[in-house]
Amino acid sequence: MSSRSQARLGRSIALHLFLTPLALIWLFPLWMMVVFSTMPDNGIFSPGIELLPHDNFVENFNNLQRDTNFVGAIGISVSVAVTYTFLSVLLTSMAGWALARYQFVGKGVVVAIILGTITLPYAVVLIPQFIMVARDFQLANTWVALIVPPLFNSLGVLFMRQSFSMMPGDLFDAARVEGVKEWRIFLFVALPLARPMLAALAIILFLASWNNYLWPLLINSQPGAMTAPVALGTLIGLTKVSWGGIMAGAVMLTVPMLVVFVLLQRHFIAGIAAGAIK
Amino acid sequence: MAAVTLSNVVKRFGVYEIIHGANIDIADGEFVVFVGPSGCGKSTLLRMVAGLEDISGGEIAIGGKVMNDVEAAERGIAMVFQSYALYPHMTVEQNLSFGLRMNGNPKADTERRVKRAAEILCIDELMQRRPKQLSGGQRQRVAIGRAIVREPQVFLFDEPLSNLDAELRVQMRVEISRLHKELGVTMIYVTHDQTEAMTLADRIVVLKAGNVEQIGAPLDLYDDPANRFVAGFIGSPKMNFLAAKVVETGDGAATIELVNHAGARFKKPLQTTPPAVGADVVLGVRPEHFFDAGQGDCDISVKADVAEHLGSVSYVYADAGDTELIIEREASRHRASGDHLVVSIKAGKALLFDTKGARIR
Amino acid sequence: MRYQNATAYRFLAPYLLIFSVFWVWPIISSFLISFQATRTVPWRWAPTFNWGRLIGDPAFFNALKNTLLILVIQVPVMISLAIVMAVLLNSPLLKARGLYRFAFFAPVVVGEVAYSAVFRLMFNLNFGIINKLLNSVGLPSIDWFSNVTPAMALIMIAVTWRWAGYNAIILLAGLQSIPDDVYEAATLDRVSKVKQFFYITLPLLKPIIVFCAVLSIIGTMQLFTEPFLITERGGPGGGTETLGLLLYRQGFRSLNFGYASAVAYTMAGLAIAITLVQLWLTKEPK
Repeated sequence: MSSRSQARLGRSIALHLFLTPLALIWLFPLWMMVVFSTMPDNGIFSPGIELLPHDNFVENFNNLQRDTNFVGAIGISVSVAVTYTFLSVLLTSMAGWALARYQFVGKGVVVAIILGTITLPYAVVLIPQFIMVARDFQLANTWVALIVPPLFNSLGVLFMRQSFSMMPGDLFDAARVEGVKEWRIFLFVALPLARPMLAALAIILFLASWNNYLWPLLINSQPGAMTAPVALGTLIGLTKVSWGGIMAGAVMLTVPMLVVFVLLQRHFIAGIAAGAIK
Repeated sequence: MAAVTLSNVVKRFGVYEIIHGANIDIADGEFVVFVGPSGCGKSTLLRMVAGLEDISGGEIAIGGKVMNDVEAAERGIAMVFQSYALYPHMTVEQNLSFGLRMNGNPKADTERRVKRAAEILCIDELMQRRPKQLSGGQRQRVAIGRAIVREPQVFLFDEPLSNLDAELRVQMRVEISRLHKELGVTMIYVTHDQTEAMTLADRIVVLKAGNVEQIGAPLDLYDDPANRFVAGFIGSPKMNFLAAKVVETGDGAATIELVNHAGARFKKPLQTTPPAVGADVVLGVRPEHFFDAGQGDCDISVKADVAEHLGSVSYVYADAGDTELIIEREASRHRASGDHLVVSIKAGKALLFDTKGARIR
Repeated sequence: MRYQNATAYRFLAPYLLIFSVFWVWPIISSFLISFQATRTVPWRWAPTFNWGRLIGDPAFFNALKNTLLILVIQVPVMISLAIVMAVLLNSPLLKARGLYRFAFFAPVVVGEVAYSAVFRLMFNLNFGIINKLLNSVGLPSIDWFSNVTPAMALIMIAVTWRWAGYNAIILLAGLQSIPDDVYEAATLDRVSKVKQFFYITLPLLKPIIVFCAVLSIIGTMQLFTEPFLITERGGPGGGTETLGLLLYRQGFRSLNFGYASAVAYTMAGLAIAITLVQLWLTKEPK
């Protein structure tokens, strides 16, 4: 073996020796989530070290369902996330299209307002949003309250604007010359071409909605109107509660997203790397 | 089919004016080429005819109807883009029929038109492919096919051949020419390549920095350019320009002496009042208008630097004191670098310009 | 381009409506509310009421201190870790890259509630796996929830675990946009790998690092769920109380909207300052 390839091998071993323990530490909480979700409550609170899954998941889940209507909450979470994702992708891509592809009076102002307010913390709008939705519109504990206010997301608009402005303009002019109406150009030329970007955006938006906690906690606090994270959150800190059940809920919230992540990793990473949304 | 008229057409972007009042009359069925260096406004002008750019001033009429406020789609035009602008997610057939389908054209008619376009361009075999699976030339055909399908009154081409390699470009040039004969439709074609302009056009419009410099048939522009810019732009290799002085006038003629070739002078008959004696002028001579020593009106001696042998002819790049000259010679005359060469200029084959570039006829 | 006002606004209208109602107006409204006494009916205009209270409120300064402390320690640690992850994941020598990527990126999809619950269990005093592991190597148990320092450390550990991979994804994309030939040229110039990292990678990555830092700072500044769920409403005794938690408490427990808005605008002020610093740091040299 040449000294060159020996040096490479040495570097490679050092790399893996460093990265493997770090990766294991990073996976550990997720692993323990799964382990806890399969252990009986008296097992979780026992002095022994348990690192392998047991077979108590179903009973834990039944305990969870007894503590809170988790299946119902999951139903709300799924419906809200799907509706929100669809609407948000539609709204942001329409707006992004207009900003990328049309010249119009007031464009500079619209862009300036979006860019100028983008780094403001969400906390700033929380209170007026709450007052408006809960008191003025009387919409607390409804689906509309969960879906509509978070649609303001302007990072999505910037992401789609960027995507559309990178496409060759001739393509749309060609359709225009052929007499294709603008909304049909958007629907049948622009959107199909933006499919990878739309996929990335949709995944990120779905995840954001699925995991959203603070807003649903504030606006839909009534049992029966809670999303799954909120329902699960109400159990944390209660004294008489099944921790195995909470962990079963955590697994049910997390594992589907992990599967989506593995299957659609490319789009996922593209969406995050573009800074589409935090 | 329709005539196209541009009257005092102006284009401004903000305060910046980039077309300064263009007047162009294009007859029904004519093939007109807009040519000029990049940034001259030729593409902008075409896009204004197409309806893709607003018209800041003046009027554009197609078939006698003023089109300023008419949408692109309603102008009866079709356009072929430099990038081809094929929809990448559609097959060739879908690309050809997209516009008609979107506008609710009857299905049978759409199919008929698509079939006809495919036949004209010999792309029947490619109908189910996507743009990605096509070669450059094939994409170009599909782009033209998409224009044919519209059965327009006017065809617009925006540098359609600039993405093709040299060989294909020649081939497609011939095909576009053939297409024009076959369809007999008005065509407006934009290019920066004067060879394309010369070979395709019935008439050429030469543009420079937003001004129309000259409009005319290709050979008229070549033989009788209105100014130094047109003279230099049309023709390849370029026309040579030599510094000269008027040394004597009279009898409707001026005697011109070349500045860097003492004693090299000849009499040039003029139709207009000659410039004053002592005025600086510029003499334009095309590479093929250098004759053998003694055969013209005035001989000059130059030093050959490099010779390019193209087979049928050779081009000698020669040092003529102040400028480099390009001289066309018959192929057999080999010239090594450093050789001295004596060539002759004929008064009838030399053009005269004033120092501002205007032609002195 | 042609001016197409009607078409453009037809595409923009639905979004602009939502954007104005649920983002632009609340930003203005929140500012106005912060100058009103909101626990009287009707609300009363009292410009110094909330802001005056704010600058004399020990609870506010406690929350501000905790938030800044978390920012100052957690963000640099996390960003450094993310850079290390990104650089190593980008190494051509790495085998089974997909597995490592999964390990570091997976927390990105985990919801705040789910991971808060797991961290609470893992760090439990008597039965938590962390203390059991500490004991098994002869170290004493740490009471993560009853003492301020370990509680703060726990919050920082949790946030770092959740967000390091997220930043690594962004940084990795940045790394991959650096052309290989830059490194090849450096290698031919006999620049060592370590020096390449410090003199090529880091400078070229600087705008992205700054971007990540700003995102993280603004995110951490609003930290709410972790102290809410993991350390039980900012416990022990307000030891992990953050601005986000104070805002929640004032706004939604005490229904003191005016004061909570003042807290929110303090956070906004910090965010604006940080954004300006970012713009200054990433300004292209003239």
